[in-house]
Amino acid sequence: MKRKNKKFQKKNSSNSLNKLSLFQKSDGKFSRKCPLSVKNAPIVDYKNISLLKKYMSDNGKIISSKITSVSFGKQKKLTKEIKKAKILGLL
Amino acid sequence: MAFYENTIVTKQDLTEKDLKSLKEKYNKIINNSSGKVIKIEEWGLLSLANKIKNYKKGFYIHYKFEGAGKTIEEIEKKIKIDSSVIRYLTVKYKELDTTNEFFKKNNNG
Repeated sequence: MKRKNKKFQKKNSSNSLNKLSLFQKSDGKFSRKCPLSVKNAPIVDYKNISLLKKYMSDNGKIISSKITSVSFGKQKKLTKEIKKAKILGLL
Repeated sequence: MAFYENTIVTKQDLTEKDLKSLKEKYNKIINNSSGKVIKIEEWGLLSLANKIKNYKKGFYIHYKFEGAGKTIEEIEKKIKIDSSVIRYLTVKYKELDTTNEFFKKNNNG
């Protein structure tokens, strides 16, 4: 119980120090890392349909990397694998 | 010699005997033309995302094999003639991973 309380207090103090005003956005939002180039990341492959569906809109379009924050190299690989899956009629 | 993956989509109105004969037919073709089949997967009957030649569903057969360029020429020649195959895809890989099977759940249930 003591530890939890300490953590809670620290978080609060650090947040209030970093933010100068209410309208300033927190730093965490802008520095999002690529979800496909982390350790133990899922395999980008044309057989892994459940992963590919996450990066496509309902109309079957590929979502841009600006929104999904995928790195440039992985985005190139994603588009190639999605097109392969479309040939086989999986997507 | 390099590693390849080959998937075949067949018509939905084939009997089980036809499927087995198809599976063995391409297995023989690969083995006879200086290739070596490492693994065969059957993904079963899956529904297609959009209609292909007026078919809504198809049986998927997946081969993982090692071979040269000649083997692929011969397989694709035979597939193009075959009327029971709707679509096919061959992909070259540096290494094959035989552990992951993405379609295993669909087969069981």
